[in-house]
Amino acid sequence: MNKPALYLSAASTISHQPTFRNPGFSVGLGPVEASSALISPDYKAYIEAGLLRRMSKILRMSVACAKDCMEQAGIAQPDAIVVGTGLGCLQDTEKFLNTSLTVEGLLPPTSFIQSTHNTMAGQISLSLGNHGYNMTHTQNTLSFEHALLDAAMLLREGDRNVLVGAADEHIDILEDIARQLAFEANAPLTSAASFFVLSAENQGNASAGLADVYTSGGTEYGQEDIDAFLDRNGLQAGDVDLALYAGTPVQGAARNVDYLPLAGVYPTASAFALHYALDVFATNSEVRNVLICNGLRKSNLGLTLLKAFEA
Amino acid sequence: MDSLKEDLKKQIIEQLNLEDLTVADIADDALLFNDQGLGLDSIDALELIVLLEKYHGIQLTNPEEGKEAFKSIDTMAAYIRKRKAA
Repeated sequence: MNKPALYLSAASTISHQPTFRNPGFSVGLGPVEASSALISPDYKAYIEAGLLRRMSKILRMSVACAKDCMEQAGIAQPDAIVVGTGLGCLQDTEKFLNTSLTVEGLLPPTSFIQSTHNTMAGQISLSLGNHGYNMTHTQNTLSFEHALLDAAMLLREGDRNVLVGAADEHIDILEDIARQLAFEANAPLTSAASFFVLSAENQGNASAGLADVYTSGGTEYGQEDIDAFLDRNGLQAGDVDLALYAGTPVQGAARNVDYLPLAGVYPTASAFALHYALDVFATNSEVRNVLICNGLRKSNLGLTLLKAFEA
Repeated sequence: MDSLKEDLKKQIIEQLNLEDLTVADIADDALLFNDQGLGLDSIDALELIVLLEKYHGIQLTNPEEGKEAFKSIDTMAAYIRKRKAA
């Protein structure tokens, strides 16, 4: 991007780990257990009861994280809402399709309405009463990176605060599908949502900034792609204090951490890595540059560079 | 105890995700679409039509019939019995 970094003013994650409203969670975080469950907050504190009863897991997580971010950033309304999701609202899609197998007449309206990928962004908008730009990106494992790119472009064009995030939810049939496709991962399949406020100006609460985002799809990537990305940002691999990776470690980085065992496997797990990185910046002042290298799918590469701000 | 009415209450709680309610909280004569009763809305009405077919094999196509049938648990049970007897 070769432009000033954008400020990450708030971060909120609901996952299988104790991430929600828990600053410092990255310290000593262990791998997510196969038997783990989503750690949900009391959603009634964030969502009106009448709306809550219609919301599936992914909607509850997304709206609660979005509202938590607004509170952290101290802003009433973002200028835009941008969401990335790999598989969208699976729970409602499954419910709608299952009912269509057994019911001949009218199909359930709620699960139909809420089965589309853009339901999270829509529900967040309704919950906040927001009338701004509302966009959902679904690009498989690069969905979150594309949402970040969109948010960054909006800020470069004059927006002040953009709510950007990602969410994906686990349903049981994913286990069967993974088995049938012989999909092998070093972590269990999980659900999670992570949201952030990306700002053009520092409101005093940003410890790190988004320096650059890059995506490449359809071809297998190599270390040379990562080196070229770092080079365009005036860095070498040795300048990366922490590389959070899914797939292959970043050669030359001072420290590599595979984020999939921490987050679990879902298409937008790189959003968990971003929150993890922000938590590392907040708890370890020696970390200056963090690279998130998303190679969850071998033919997709997502690179996100974060830089610490001077105190 | 009328088992059809008990079943209906369980089915309504499940179909409409009324997580905070139990069967005991729903009176047989409580008005389903009144704020003093369950406070259901128009989307719930459509869900009740799905419920009738899913659990009882009854297709409700006349909206006027629905208005009458969905007043309370009592009227829903009466409607189901009437349709099954026909």
